[in-house]
Amino acid sequence: MPKKKPLLYPVVFMVLITAFFTFLLAFINESTIDEIERQEDLRLQRSILYVFDIPYDETNDNEVTYTYQANITTESRQGRTLYIYEKDDTIKGYAFEFSGSGLWGTITGHLALAPSFDELLGVNFIAHSETPGLGGRIDELVYKDQFRGIVPNATSEAIVYRPADGGNVDAITGATLTSKSVKNMINVFIPEINAFAREEGLYERN
Amino acid sequence: MSEIKKVFSEGMWKDNPVFRQILGICSSLAVTNLLINSFVMGIGLCFVTGFSSFTVSLLRHHTPKHIRMMVQTLIISAYVIMLDIFLKAYYPSMSKALGPYVGLIITNCIIMGRCEAFAQHNKPLISFFDGISMGLGYTVVLLFIAFFRELLGFGSLFGIQILGEGWVNWTLMIMPPGAFFMLGIVIWIAKNIFPNQEEAEKGGAKA
Repeated sequence: MPKKKPLLYPVVFMVLITAFFTFLLAFINESTIDEIERQEDLRLQRSILYVFDIPYDETNDNEVTYTYQANITTESRQGRTLYIYEKDDTIKGYAFEFSGSGLWGTITGHLALAPSFDELLGVNFIAHSETPGLGGRIDELVYKDQFRGIVPNATSEAIVYRPADGGNVDAITGATLTSKSVKNMINVFIPEINAFAREEGLYERN
Repeated sequence: MSEIKKVFSEGMWKDNPVFRQILGICSSLAVTNLLINSFVMGIGLCFVTGFSSFTVSLLRHHTPKHIRMMVQTLIISAYVIMLDIFLKAYYPSMSKALGPYVGLIITNCIIMGRCEAFAQHNKPLISFFDGISMGLGYTVVLLFIAFFRELLGFGSLFGIQILGEGWVNWTLMIMPPGAFFMLGIVIWIAKNIFPNQEEAEKGGAKA
């Protein structure tokens, strides 16, 4: 007769070892949670500063936070966070978070508009899962910087890729689908934000 | 001491996880487009293999044989999560660049392979060392592949531009196919220029 495998010992062993590692991980998690949050905040602050084209010292974390706090205030309206860039008591622009589906997953980013909502100040992407070297190149300044200073036309779409008539942005070669997704996302988002601004009376604040 | 030497040479060369055992290929294809990514990934893997092997070996007399895989997976994932938290807190840009591949170290066959093949039967300290050597062997191959991919694909090394303005980036090298070509070449060189002695004695490997 084959020897019967012990039943209780493996269960107790597994429970003990699981408990040990769970406590260890919980402890590590608890002790680093503030640092991780700080890093997340920094990422957001860098992105907002970038879309408003506010110069900051990239290497110094405290400097980033300081510049951010000196220029940006936030408001929450209709569940949307509004980042307001104020300088010398005049509003220089509004930034919003936007997201939409890219080729492989959700693309999230920030978009800044002038206070009159008729000019795009800048676009930045904070999270995406596009192919590195292809669609992933939306992170490159060469692509992102093109969105600065675009004046959306009321009758047509805001972003039009060259070489089409009235084109204002170059798409990324080899990443047609990602480029299209970004274009559609922004073209849908700008009218949406205009409607939001009208409802909230943001136009009158200028 | 000689044991340590033997373990080290096996990890680095004779039993190199990537081009001898063909383990951990998935991540070596994924993160080798930049040297710095490969470097951090390699260090991370050294940490996880070393400590997983150490812990598995420490518990080897107490672990019931039929649930050992479960125990190993648990130990490995605990160390991987530690690494992930560490990168998120202190090296966020790298955490973002490596993305899901840090978490996927859990599935890296090198770690489980070493736990099963070595740590189950050896003392903790030498197992720890075995894990580290295997991790280093992996790192060296990764760096070798990344060296060519970054140089040809971006014209830079560790982010510092090496090739001048006239260099046209060879985009294929930083895309997945570039990794396949490079890895194939590495395995081919390793197999041909430095034939395995045992295989040579047997008169060539059987397929």
